[in-house]
Amino acid sequence: MTELRPILAILVSAVAIPVILSLKGRPNLREGVTLTVAFAKFGIIASMIPGVLSGTEYEFVVGQFGTGIELAFNVDPLGLLFGLLASLLWIVTSFYSIGYMRGLDEHAQTRYFASFAASLASAVGVAFASNLLTLFVCYELLTVSTYPLVTHDETDEARAAGRKYLAYTFGGGVAVLGGTVLVFVLAGTTAFTPGGIEELATADPALARAAFALLAAGFGVKAALMPMHSWLPDAMVAPTPVSGLLHAVAVVKSGVFGIARVVLDVYGPVTMKELGVALPLAAIAAFTLLTASIIALRQDNLKRRLAYSTISQLSYIVLGLALLKENALTGGLLHIPAHAFMKLTLFFCAGAIHVETHTDDISDMAGIGKRMPLTMAAFAVAAAGMAGIPLVAGFVSKWYLVIGALNLESGGLVFAGALLVSGVLNIAYFWPIVYQAYFESPESHDEKPLIGGPFGGRDEVRADGGEGHDSDDTDDHPSEGDVPDPQHVDHLGKHHEEHEHHGGPPAGGWDDRGWRGGESTWFMLGPILTAATLSLLLGTVPYTAVFLRIVDTIVSNLPGVVA
Amino acid sequence: MFELLNSHYNYFAVMLLLGIGLYMLIESRNLVKKVIGMNIFQTGIFLFFITLAFRTGGNPPIIKEGGGPYVSPLPHVLILTAIVVGVSLTAVALALIIRIYTEYGTLDEDKLKQLYYD
Amino acid sequence: MIEHLPVLLVVLPIVGGAIPLAASLVSDRAGWPVATLTLVGQTGLAGLLAWTVSSSGTVSYAVGGFAAPYGIELVVDGLSAAVALLVAVISLGVLAYARKAGPHSGPFYGLYLLLVAGLTGMTVTGDVFNLYVFLEITGLAAYGLVASGRDASAAVAALKYLIIGTVGASLYLLGVGYLLAATGTLNMADLATKLGEMAAYDSTLVLTAFGLMVGGLTVKVALFPLHTWQPDAYANAPDTVSAFISALVSTVSAYALARLLFSVFTVDFLTAVPVARWALVGLACVSIVAGSALAVSQDSVQRMLAYSSVSQFGLVVAGFAIATPLAVVGATVHLLGHAVMKGGLFAATGVIERKTGATTVNGYAGMGSRVPVSAFAFAVLSLAMVGVPPAVGFVGKWYIVLGAVNAENWPVVAVLLASTLLTLAYFARLVERLYFAEATIHSKPDEAPVTDGSGQAVSFGMIAVVVIAAALAVVLTAAVPTLEHVLRETLIPVLNQ
Repeated sequence: MTELRPILAILVSAVAIPVILSLKGRPNLREGVTLTVAFAKFGIIASMIPGVLSGTEYEFVVGQFGTGIELAFNVDPLGLLFGLLASLLWIVTSFYSIGYMRGLDEHAQTRYFASFAASLASAVGVAFASNLLTLFVCYELLTVSTYPLVTHDETDEARAAGRKYLAYTFGGGVAVLGGTVLVFVLAGTTAFTPGGIEELATADPALARAAFALLAAGFGVKAALMPMHSWLPDAMVAPTPVSGLLHAVAVVKSGVFGIARVVLDVYGPVTMKELGVALPLAAIAAFTLLTASIIALRQDNLKRRLAYSTISQLSYIVLGLALLKENALTGGLLHIPAHAFMKLTLFFCAGAIHVETHTDDISDMAGIGKRMPLTMAAFAVAAAGMAGIPLVAGFVSKWYLVIGALNLESGGLVFAGALLVSGVLNIAYFWPIVYQAYFESPESHDEKPLIGGPFGGRDEVRADGGEGHDSDDTDDHPSEGDVPDPQHVDHLGKHHEEHEHHGGPPAGGWDDRGWRGGESTWFMLGPILTAATLSLLLGTVPYTAVFLRIVDTIVSNLPGVVA
Repeated sequence: MFELLNSHYNYFAVMLLLGIGLYMLIESRNLVKKVIGMNIFQTGIFLFFITLAFRTGGNPPIIKEGGGPYVSPLPHVLILTAIVVGVSLTAVALALIIRIYTEYGTLDEDKLKQLYYD
Repeated sequence: MIEHLPVLLVVLPIVGGAIPLAASLVSDRAGWPVATLTLVGQTGLAGLLAWTVSSSGTVSYAVGGFAAPYGIELVVDGLSAAVALLVAVISLGVLAYARKAGPHSGPFYGLYLLLVAGLTGMTVTGDVFNLYVFLEITGLAAYGLVASGRDASAAVAALKYLIIGTVGASLYLLGVGYLLAATGTLNMADLATKLGEMAAYDSTLVLTAFGLMVGGLTVKVALFPLHTWQPDAYANAPDTVSAFISALVSTVSAYALARLLFSVFTVDFLTAVPVARWALVGLACVSIVAGSALAVSQDSVQRMLAYSSVSQFGLVVAGFAIATPLAVVGATVHLLGHAVMKGGLFAATGVIERKTGATTVNGYAGMGSRVPVSAFAFAVLSLAMVGVPPAVGFVGKWYIVLGAVNAENWPVVAVLLASTLLTLAYFARLVERLYFAEATIHSKPDEAPVTDGSGQAVSFGMIAVVVIAAALAVVLTAAVPTLEHVLRETLIPVLNQ
């Protein structure tokens, strides 16, 4: 049925942009607008849940702008899943942003909040787009509106990261455009149809495969599939709320969501199987989730470690989609909100530590549990969830994923094995952080991170990454459009941050702030605890928390899915 | 060869004019000579059009009793227009050259380039 | 009255242009009001004409009552009506900019209106020789306008422009001679029918004519490697003139090229002589890549924008050369959209220079906070040019790519898609510097040097022009369905598909 609500949900934050910009001199009112809009957006989207669950789809057609260019929005269960998630977490992040930005007395806060509103408008546009072209439009706008956030710091490093971000994501956008044109030429339409567009099944298989490859590669850039992932760790120079909401939820998930749309609603499981494109995608995802976990072990900068963890977790979702089994699909789709809640918690914790103690490196965090007990407790809960420990959100989704993988006729063991090994690696890179926070002190703590020698460790990494300062300098000022070798940057990037921030415990060790919130402002603690609670809720009562019900509706609506 | 030259001499003249004009345009460093080259180039084109109009035994296209056959009047008309265009172009070019000379004191292209990019 | 519209459209600006020229003997003040009045009328006439064409199809007019093919015929179909309207609207818009930005002399406005007349003439004519005449009128006025800056470097640039432009136009004229020799006619419609019958498409005569005419026009369009006049001319002309000619002169020349392809040589020719199509498509692709590469290496913003035009017109010509209805619609959309965007960008550089003195890529650092409105408009226009949807730059590209895919011309598809990234390469660094870099220029506005010396003041009208161009770059997308409809009505018979 035609409804105004889909477009309203998008426009409400778009309209807020000029208002926010005009309130430059009145920060309290400005943040008030952000919060009001965030709640309004969530309210509008949430009001559509009952209808969507009972099978209604809300549609709004903006218009036809020439051959093949139809802008139309449609709220179906899959779109609702992403839209609801993004708008819910925007509220949480907005509170956190206020605490974070004011805590650090950041510059250009007006631009920051305005860009945030624009990003959310585009992200919800991605969610509700009802054809590939509309999705592409919003996808590109998302790139543009997040660029100011990545470059927010205005340092050379931030500019380089922003340049890399634009180059990667616009490159991906070009591939998506190419794929969209091909799909339109082959099928005569780009409208999403559950189970796939019929004409694609009968189209020239070579061209259909090419189109799929282009679309998967294009969306894969934002989904940080290897080898197109290296923008993400670099984009961590952005303020932490940005890393949290955008680089763990909205932006990267828009890539994953794009792949989900392509798999479920453009090609459909049946055509995917006939074309034989599912297995390569699954293989890339499996490779990414293992490799990224291993690289995460070697990161000393907390945010970079989280970034690699994100890369790995995103591939869980892609793997779930590519396996084309009912349980795997459920697991993959449910991992979208599950990962979002947990990773948001983790990023918020990293941000809170940064604001309060200016510490960014894991090796400086021994004994920090004394200084920030609540924060680290939330961190521990979310980390456990990441590893797939029961009662936290990650367990439910990974359970479905593993079952789905085992259901496969052949090769299931390989994928299930990859999932389990990666789970173990998750523990390996998260547990030391939690352990040393509570059970060690700055004076007496082991060498961390886990792998010592030339592959990890603090001093060794310093030698490894910046043999001399010359190589360091060249990377500080990369020439235009020059994309440095990803592996190279990983080390150097970490190396920079060690230079720039002088965090770590004060001379007399961490002071004891107790468990009653003396560690930070409630603007930051509140969001952290909310996000942690949400991940517990999703882990214990997934149906009541609505998300699993939406996922079930999506999967049961799909023709051609076999258990 | 000689016969071809004899029967198509006008075309050879056209090619010669176009060649000389283009050569001056590219080779000469003096701006005024460049403009002259441009004029010669255009003259080649004019001659080409007029050649098109020719027919053996044709009379000037002024209609009178038993006057035919006539040569084609159309190219003449076109070239009259083109000459006007060419003259105005030359005028503008010379005006610009005067301005350049009063400012930079030279008409040498190479010297001008040095002054110009400083 | 209605039936005389096509010719009125050419006559009005010529008559209007004579008035300031004459009045300048007494006072220079008359220029702007007369020009505005003339162009308001011109816009009204062009709108009326476009409406007539869209409601009742192609309009043709025999000048002086001499019937075609003997007399000169003016023909206005969907494509030419759209371009004529564009010329009228943009020249009116740039006037709002010129009021303060100058130059303020009477002769300037005379030339300005003469240029409008020449451009409109090129648009409405249906005769290849008449096209040459208007091409030269356009050229003469443009040379004069480029030189109208106070700086003598403008004269050098204008002379370079004149010499290269004249050679281009002369080559075109030579081509006309070959066509005349082959068919004995100059009327476009007549040529289209006679070319296949009287002279084989692949005969040396016709091929030479094609090569000369297209070669001559690509000089005017400024495709690589015949673009060398353009950066100097755009960078040295007064800001008003840069905005005006960058928006319109190459645009109308590209239109003339399309007219030549579809109404004189026809699609049949392109199909019968694949090498002609490949040559044109190849030239366009080289232009896209080389123009972008040159743009990236520029330090001056205006020169960068000039090279960007080289690249963007490659896109347009590629669309025309593919010659399927979709690609032609795309090329037309991009042609019109590019005019608005590039004009707006040049106008923005003028405003930014006047306010801050910044003219180079590095000088633009940190200007986002110094000139917020113009910088924002500049950023929007840049992104629209890159092809970020839903701006009009995206729509044109979408159609051209769609047409290329339909024609299964894969190398071209690859270049077209890559052009987005190439464009991004030079615009992203400007946007980045505008907003995310420390300012390198700290001088107060009144100390800022302005090359053409016409004062530092920035009027409301100048900023309004920039902002409206930015808004149009986004909003024009909504007009695409109408344009596509009109184009399909009148172009389908021409494209015989």
